[in-house]
Amino acid sequence: MNEKPKIKVATAWLGGCSGCHMSILDIDERIIDLAKLVEFTASPITDVKEIPEVDVGIIEGAVCNEENEHVLRTMRSRCKVLIALGDCALTGNIPALRNQFKLKEVVARGFIETESTQVGEMPDTTVVPRLLKRVRPIQEFVKVDAHIPGCPPDADTIWYALTELLAGRMPQWSEKNLQYD
Amino acid sequence: MIASRQITVTINGKRCVGQDGQTILQVAQANDVYIPTLCYLKHLSPWGGCRLCIVEIAGSSKIVPSCSTPASDGTEVITTSPRLHHLRRNTLELLFSERNHICPMCPMNKGDCGLQHQGYVHGIDSIRYPYLYPSLPVDTSGKYFVLDHNRCILCTRCVRACEEMEGAHTLDISHRGANNRVVVDLGATFGTSDSCTNCGSCVASCPTGALFDKASAYRGKLNSSQIVRTTCLECPVGCSLEVYTRENRIVTVFGDPESPINRGHLCVRGRYETWAEPRERILQPLVRRNGKLEPTTWDEALGAIANATKKLRTAQKAMLVSPRLTNETAKTLKRLAGKFGRVATFVSQNEAALCGANDGEAVPASALDELRDADAIIVLGAQPSRDNGVVAAMIRGAVRRRGAKLLIFHARKSDLDRYADISANVVSLERAFWKQVGTVLQGAQRPALVYGPNAMTPIGVMVMERLINIFEAKTKGQPPRLVPLPVSTNSFALTAAGIEAEEDIGPWIDAKPLKLLHIVASDEPDGGARLLREKHVPALLDAIDCLVVQASYRSALTDRAHVVLPAAIWCEKSGTTTNFEGRELPLRQVLPPRGEARDDKVILETLFS
Repeated sequence: MNEKPKIKVATAWLGGCSGCHMSILDIDERIIDLAKLVEFTASPITDVKEIPEVDVGIIEGAVCNEENEHVLRTMRSRCKVLIALGDCALTGNIPALRNQFKLKEVVARGFIETESTQVGEMPDTTVVPRLLKRVRPIQEFVKVDAHIPGCPPDADTIWYALTELLAGRMPQWSEKNLQYD
Repeated sequence: MIASRQITVTINGKRCVGQDGQTILQVAQANDVYIPTLCYLKHLSPWGGCRLCIVEIAGSSKIVPSCSTPASDGTEVITTSPRLHHLRRNTLELLFSERNHICPMCPMNKGDCGLQHQGYVHGIDSIRYPYLYPSLPVDTSGKYFVLDHNRCILCTRCVRACEEMEGAHTLDISHRGANNRVVVDLGATFGTSDSCTNCGSCVASCPTGALFDKASAYRGKLNSSQIVRTTCLECPVGCSLEVYTRENRIVTVFGDPESPINRGHLCVRGRYETWAEPRERILQPLVRRNGKLEPTTWDEALGAIANATKKLRTAQKAMLVSPRLTNETAKTLKRLAGKFGRVATFVSQNEAALCGANDGEAVPASALDELRDADAIIVLGAQPSRDNGVVAAMIRGAVRRRGAKLLIFHARKSDLDRYADISANVVSLERAFWKQVGTVLQGAQRPALVYGPNAMTPIGVMVMERLINIFEAKTKGQPPRLVPLPVSTNSFALTAAGIEAEEDIGPWIDAKPLKLLHIVASDEPDGGARLLREKHVPALLDAIDCLVVQASYRSALTDRAHVVLPAAIWCEKSGTTTNFEGRELPLRQVLPPRGEARDDKVILETLFS
């Protein structure tokens, strides 16, 4: 029996809390069905770092620094369909709260003024990715083909969107299945 | 009222009947046709700013906002079309991208936000415009609520509520274009605002989380809370409340929009003070042992009272009750009156005379409507701004929105003075002054005279007489509608039920040798401590052997008591109260009594049956 070739999926975690990836795992036993249809390549779940050529790329998180932008552009160039998963990727969400402040203040708050920091110093940007001036959602950098809102999107929402996309349809969002939180 | 002409409008092919003068939105809503809205709120004037309620009219290429377009007979209206959907979606995307709408951290998240709801209705999964991420302040300086500009969509519902419901006009919009901002008192904060009365009508009208109550934030969704309608017991106006509760606690209190009395509006006392203030509840009976008040059981507390009263003659016992008691408690009291030498309700100065003057003379149940409609309002010896916030709001509205004349006599200074044609805190006897009063009142067609306790003083009576002379001599219109406005919640009904209103208990000390005084302070906010500031009361307390205080909140008075009985508060009571217009209003139990507290009526019945 000839098996249908599996759809290759890569996921990446940019500026976010990983809650959306957790929510993917929350589809529970349905992941077995999913595994029959797709093959997870690079992903925080598989811990494979290098993104290969894939059919579907899923992005969690906003674009906060140069590395985020690099990963996002790599993903876009190597996937056929790009899915934005969760509010950070779609709106900037919580990471974008820092857009209200000057970058210097933000870095100082994180590296020097933290309550647990005794002697802090500004990070060396040859080692730590340089922060972008503003946190932005991914569609402000690359073309996004499908959106799954939610903070995080719950497992059923992810399942619905993925199964629709695998069936070759765009998910239809309405009052019944949308949630921004 | 002139009956308006009936009109017929076809909406989405459905034949809808409306009245001439109604807007397209009003006709649609009356016929159960849904049109999305954000800046529209039923009891406020239409604004037409959010552009979500846009509709198409057959034969016209223009798209119009249905909230502010009058419906005309025979028109055909389309409320849903790809073009309208596209426009509404774009509008919403612009709103989402304009400020920092971060749903997961908003107290209105999950169902209480109009913007979020419209995003869902329109299937918005992403925003195609670049986010502006403006840097905006959050004003947390207000006592009861927060203004977060990040979540504001400039629908101006708060601005209109502040102007049209409270009449304060604290809020407005400053700057231009994308820099538009809701502004408090031309750039102050809620904490430093002079004109804000903390009525909270702005919060109640905000469709997003831009304005929210501090005491309700993150305490549960409003849209799945239980709502119980009851009556405010803070003053004699009798506003209807919608109390939102979850898991036996209050989430928030809003005015009931269906109430003919307050029409959805509330003052700070009904809206916040009864539940959002820290007050120390008395949760179990207390008995004084070795000079200290100690918690005890109901049986022991009642036993202690029985012991203290055993050897006393009726004349040696007296009872003072709060004028907040329900009508049912008043009936019980009347029945028990024989067990005491004296039973009286303790009212503020001059209010006893007001209750006496009101005796048997019913105020029309439409007094508030007449006040709303009056073209000249005279306030004599009353303090609506302090005592009856909703009446003050009506007066401000009558003056500011309809140009009614306002005359204030013999009252303390208040914000109403600012709107008054004549404000005489100290009444002059000069001819010129009264001539001026006559000129102002000339031609008044629907005058109303609101008089409070201080109208019962010699000066008040003098003013009243002169005003009546002026009306007889100068104006050809109606004599003023008389609206007596007491300070205490239920003093009219209590005196009508035969419980004397007393403002001076000096004679109690001299006439009879009192041994026991039972004070029913009920849920008076200060736990009855106001009594201690009244003349003769400290002397009376010194003269007696046993003081029983029945109260909800700890106070200097309960601290002096020999026995303290925990009383239920407003939201734990059921029964009726009568407002100053004579309307009997229902009290519905919202929450079970906390701790060991019991309803005043139940306490009195257990004590004396």
